[in-house]
Amino acid sequence: MHTQDFPQLTSVQVIKDGFESFGYICSDKIATAVYLAFKLRKPVLVEGPPGVGKTELAKTMAQLLDTPLIRLQCYEGLDEAKALYEWKYGKQLLYTQVLKEKLGDLLHGAQGLAESVQRLHQFGDIFYSEEFLEPRPLLKAMQQERGAILLIDEVDKSDYEFESLLLEILSDYQVSIPEIGTIKARSAPMVFLTSNNTREISDALKRRCLHLYIPFPTVELEERIVRSRVPDVDERLRHQLVEFVHSLRQLDLKKVPAISETIDWARSLLLLHTDKLDEELVRMTLNVLLKFEDDIEATDGEIVQLVRQATES
Amino acid sequence: MPESLVSFIQVLRTRDVRISPAETLDATNVLAVLGWSDRARLRDGLGMALAKTPEEEAIFNQCFDQFFARQLADFSDSSENEPAIEEEDSSAGDDPTGVDSDSSRAELPSPLEQAAAADPALQAVVDSPLVQALMNNDSNTLSLAMSKAGERAGLQNIQMFTQKGQFTRRILEAMGEEQLRSAVIELEKANSPAQAQLQRYRDILRQQVRDYVEAQYLLHAEGKTRQFMEEVLSKTRLSNIEHSYLHRVHELVRKMARKLAARHSRKRREYRRGHLDMPRTMRRGVVNDGLMFDVYWRRTRREKPQILAICDVSGSVAAYAKFLLLFLYSLQDVLPRVRSFAFSSHLGEVSDLFEQHPVEKAIELVNWKYGGATDYGTALGDFASLALDDINSNTTVIILGDARNNRGDPRLDILQSIYQRSRQVIWLNPESRIAWGTGDSEMLRYQSACHFAAECNNLKQLERIIDQLLKSTR
Repeated sequence: MHTQDFPQLTSVQVIKDGFESFGYICSDKIATAVYLAFKLRKPVLVEGPPGVGKTELAKTMAQLLDTPLIRLQCYEGLDEAKALYEWKYGKQLLYTQVLKEKLGDLLHGAQGLAESVQRLHQFGDIFYSEEFLEPRPLLKAMQQERGAILLIDEVDKSDYEFESLLLEILSDYQVSIPEIGTIKARSAPMVFLTSNNTREISDALKRRCLHLYIPFPTVELEERIVRSRVPDVDERLRHQLVEFVHSLRQLDLKKVPAISETIDWARSLLLLHTDKLDEELVRMTLNVLLKFEDDIEATDGEIVQLVRQATES
Repeated sequence: MPESLVSFIQVLRTRDVRISPAETLDATNVLAVLGWSDRARLRDGLGMALAKTPEEEAIFNQCFDQFFARQLADFSDSSENEPAIEEEDSSAGDDPTGVDSDSSRAELPSPLEQAAAADPALQAVVDSPLVQALMNNDSNTLSLAMSKAGERAGLQNIQMFTQKGQFTRRILEAMGEEQLRSAVIELEKANSPAQAQLQRYRDILRQQVRDYVEAQYLLHAEGKTRQFMEEVLSKTRLSNIEHSYLHRVHELVRKMARKLAARHSRKRREYRRGHLDMPRTMRRGVVNDGLMFDVYWRRTRREKPQILAICDVSGSVAAYAKFLLLFLYSLQDVLPRVRSFAFSSHLGEVSDLFEQHPVEKAIELVNWKYGGATDYGTALGDFASLALDDINSNTTVIILGDARNNRGDPRLDILQSIYQRSRQVIWLNPESRIAWGTGDSEMLRYQSACHFAAECNNLKQLERIIDQLLKSTR
């Protein structure tokens, strides 16, 4: 990937504007991270609370550059056969069975065992060639002609061993397959790793990445996000609902509402044809924002206060 | 590579931000791509390359602001091809590095200039870049000169607050304050009206340098002082650590525990699947014409290691027991099952307390509940009736105590039966090895029924022992 190929990435401001045209409102910091990742050819490790747009960042990036997005969802027990490559065992078995008869013809007239083996050797490792290789997301990302966006989602859910597997790919953009050799990326993909911090990522992996922490956005930024996603919401209501969500985030909740919940809430309020927040309405729609019964109960007593704050500010 | 970046990274390292050489190179590349022009953007960019956790990022941001607050002028100088300085707070648009001579000075000659015109020696002083910068209120040139002088004086090595005066003097000297001082003295002798003005410039200069040294001291020395403290604390006898330092020690224990946990948690997982069971796989393959469809894994039996910690909490050993327990319970992610027992005259299980309360609180409760005079015999007896049946070949028993039994019956037979049943018995004794067996100490006899007995009275030793423990419990 070169700068010439992507006029969308020439400067931090251009990136910001580009993202905005796809409805992803980002802070300077996020745009800087994308710019650096592209310039330095480094993967980005994106951390932050759930629902702040970590995965969305990679998706928007793929839209912006019009390149394929290849996504690898991590989970416990993910191994190289599912992430990197696998041999097409079925095809290999089938071919050996089918070709059994051919062997007779081939070896016809061969004198003794040594010569037969000699003849067989001429065919090389047919069954372990790229024909029989089943590329999984990581390898697939390397094989894209025009580069790709590789999204390794929730890397913290995977095992430690899997992290080590990633190291070669992330630092050199290549994969070693014992039977074939090293496969280099045709065009280095842009890699985004996301993590929800359920466990510490190893130092070795962190060292190879740029580290981007996305916190919850400021009121101003979140209002812009809501405006871009739900443009029909009245400006006053938008301000009120964002203020309200922000004060909710200050409370001790099991799961605080994220940006995606703010957007959902804005949509629901729009459907209900409201133009300002009131206590009754909030109580009715609170389950859009809060996903635990405990949280809803804990907030109940505070609603009056919170709504007043949000409507006054 | 810009030197300021390197020394900035040094500062970060003293504050426990781990930065590898590879990351230093990344930071250099970030710098090359972003340039010095946009301060906030540079801060974001460097932060991404250097700080890898939210905590580190907080430290990074704080240090960045401190470190580059003054140094911005220095940077523009080192990159010769970009003479323009785009500093946010540069008030005037003129080129600050070039000391312009007379233009900015007002038409009215000040008393100082009048005096200078009359005296060529004074004129030389006034014409020096330093005084010119002071007169023109040119903070860029001044801070540039200051940071250069500071670098030459080795200010980044400042460690103690007592060194502040010394460094201030050295920097002032390097900047040519001496000339200024003698000029002031000359003027004073001559009782010239220009004296007050020059005196004022000199005071400004001194104040500036003093502020600068102060800021640098805070930046460089703070981290170093803390490192030094931790080093000392980890080697001090735990019973000698003063109360006011206890919270630091707790932090330190946590840090050590985190380190050990990281080192050992990784290996535990490797064994889960086990190896390919080739013979069995082949045998099963026979029915399929020798094709090995089904693979068998030789699963490693999941052992359930268990740790029983027995702590003497009588006055003499209580301090040590506290840290052992703190350590063990900080490692709960790695150490699977820890049961703890506390005793002085009688013994009881205290695992519940640790489940119900935070570690520090639990330790206090234990001390309060079980403190008193020691009786190892009874305690061992109590332990045997409580937990002897649970000890098997996967159990590690750790006993912490000074083995001073007040001349009672040591009940060595119980320890021996523990020894025979368990995987290992480790005795940690806070007394130094020479004192073992003296007076009423039964240590030498107890030692005969231990797999391993060690002296353990500071954090370094404790860390080493627990490291071994983690290795052997798998």
